Amino acid sequence: MIDPMEPLDATQPQDNKPPRASLRTRLAQSMTDLLRTRIDKSTWRIRLVAMGFACLFGIIGGKLVYLGFKPEPQSLRRAASEAVSRPRPEILDRNGEVLATDIKVMSVFAEPRRIIDKDEAVELITAVLPDVNAKELRERLGSRKGFVWVKRGIKPKEQEEIFRLGLPGIGFLPENKRVYPNGPVAAHVLGFTNVDNIGIAGMEKHIDGLGLGDLTMAGFRIDPADLKPVRLSLDLRVTHAIRDELEKGIERFKAKAGAAAILDVNTGEVIALASLPDYDPNNPVDALETTRINRLNVGVYEMGSTFKAISIAMALEANKVNLNSRVDARESLRYGKFTIHDFHAQHRVLTVPEVFTYSSNIGTARMALMVGVEGHKAFLRKMGQLDRLRTELPESADPLVPRRWGELNTITIAFGQGLNVAPLQAMMAVGALSNGGQLITPTFLKRGEEEARANAPQVVRPEVSEALRYLMRINAEKGSARTVDIRGYFVGGKTGTADKIIRGRYAKDRVFTTFMAIAPADKPRYLFLTLMDEPQALPETQGYRTAAWNSGAVTGKIIERVANMLNLPPRLDLPTQPFPLLARLGFGFVNTPSKGN
Amino acid sequence: MLRYLNVLSVLALVGPAIYAYSIKYETMRYSAEIVKLQHSIERENDRMGILRAEWAHLTRPGRVQALADRHLDMQAVSVDQVVKASDLPERAARVDTIGRKLELLGLAEPTFAPNDKKQGATAPASNR
Repeated sequence: MIDPMEPLDATQPQDNKPPRASLRTRLAQSMTDLLRTRIDKSTWRIRLVAMGFACLFGIIGGKLVYLGFKPEPQSLRRAASEAVSRPRPEILDRNGEVLATDIKVMSVFAEPRRIIDKDEAVELITAVLPDVNAKELRERLGSRKGFVWVKRGIKPKEQEEIFRLGLPGIGFLPENKRVYPNGPVAAHVLGFTNVDNIGIAGMEKHIDGLGLGDLTMAGFRIDPADLKPVRLSLDLRVTHAIRDELEKGIERFKAKAGAAAILDVNTGEVIALASLPDYDPNNPVDALETTRINRLNVGVYEMGSTFKAISIAMALEANKVNLNSRVDARESLRYGKFTIHDFHAQHRVLTVPEVFTYSSNIGTARMALMVGVEGHKAFLRKMGQLDRLRTELPESADPLVPRRWGELNTITIAFGQGLNVAPLQAMMAVGALSNGGQLITPTFLKRGEEEARANAPQVVRPEVSEALRYLMRINAEKGSARTVDIRGYFVGGKTGTADKIIRGRYAKDRVFTTFMAIAPADKPRYLFLTLMDEPQALPETQGYRTAAWNSGAVTGKIIERVANMLNLPPRLDLPTQPFPLLARLGFGFVNTPSKGN
Repeated sequence: MLRYLNVLSVLALVGPAIYAYSIKYETMRYSAEIVKLQHSIERENDRMGILRAEWAHLTRPGRVQALADRHLDMQAVSVDQVVKASDLPERAARVDTIGRKLELLGLAEPTFAPNDKKQGATAPASNR
């Protein structure tokens, strides 16, 4: 029955073996038997099992492939994650104050397919949320979409009431909502976002352009903690201060509009910017009205006499004049049928500083003519006045350059008529004229001086820059910019009053006034600009509407108010050697301490 | 003998199984707790964000200025109020005005304090 030659299973009782082997050997044998497979006898069984497993894995694999190719159904989760507004990085001012941040709000959504009685749902929801349009909501709920918004950004109380309605297919999702705690302060720089938290204007749009927009478009989920806050160059307190002073000034002089800005001339950072009228970025319904544009960046204006600084710098840079040169301003300058007059006519030969302080149109025009049309154009292009200034802000405007530029254009542009530039552009040029001659493109992001100066081209020689500072300083001391001579800050300045063009003619009674001031004039740090559109003459300004009386006065108030915030301590002593290069070249210095300033 | 062995092996199997299960459930509990904590952190962060925004809104310069105008009678510093450090007068010599007054009144001698027992022997009152 049993083949004696075959190895036997040890568990079977066996008669021809010693009946009781020791426990150890039996245990050892049973263990080895457990691990032994007898291939010869169980091949077909193993094959069967293997086939079974192969089938099973084949089915699983097939299913996986099938699922992989099958288009994923639009799940609620996915639809919702696409619809909710994404987080955005915070925007901080240069001192870390919050300018824009996200808060979480609840939004109500509906799944139309799961709502049983749509009319009832509409009725109940509109009872709780009266500002939801019932007809429109009914239409949206009637659609075949899996996900629709009912209302975005509701209050906690409203959320509770809707929750209590117990409607199936209505749910809540937390969303990010952009808030601007400071309201209209710095609104023009910040811009605003739409309901989906996508930047539409200003820095918000710029931030989206840096890659955040692409990421969200690709559907990446962004963790708010990963977003690095954006540091602007603006100082919130200073911005508020200049906006406040500007508002008062506009009210006082009954101007149509105005703008003010502070530029750090060494880094190109815009420290403060205000343009009135402005808007509230929390509710930017009126942001796109043309009266509310950013007048410093988007508006282009004839800068008037402030442009004379550039013209004189050009003549100095071209070595056509020096500070001791004399320019004939005895008679009005005739060119064809046009005659150029001076507003404060002196009818004598003027020195270069006098041309500047008396704001002589004739003198400046003669200096520009010395340089010539081509030289004038080339210099203005070098100063960035003929091309569009591009900063981080997406809004910008091309300067209005005359198409055919003849000698007459050079004459008028020399004293600020016939070329419309953005005021920020003019600030960039005057900044370059005062900071030692480097043209630094303004920025709205925080930046250091080395970085700013590294790529800035040298547009005028340092002596010319110093000469301009000297001119601005004497202008503030005894020239037209006296309103800005705030004690202790060694301010220099230049006024600019341009008659506005109404229907193609210069209107005598409507002016656009600008005022630029640098402080301190010996080691310039900040450039202040104030401009006003159609300020009115007041009895206390002795019936004048020229820049010194309105824009200049406002600039003076601004300097007085913000100097401390800008870490610009008042100096009780006058600088003993404010213009060393000029002194070495042998030019006298008018700022004698005897005057007491 | 074999039976014991079986029981032992069963125990040896069940024991680690129970242990493994307990570890697994503990892990699940902890991970649930982690998720819960993460949610509460998120909620706290959201609330912090709201509070930050509110703080920024309440301390915005315009509001602070309006409140200061209404409740404080402060003025802006003028340059005349600023003095150079070198212009400050020299510090006067230290004068002990109280001590001088006491001397004038003849009260400058050391006084006897009742609880000052050790010194009591040398105090002028007990010397007599």
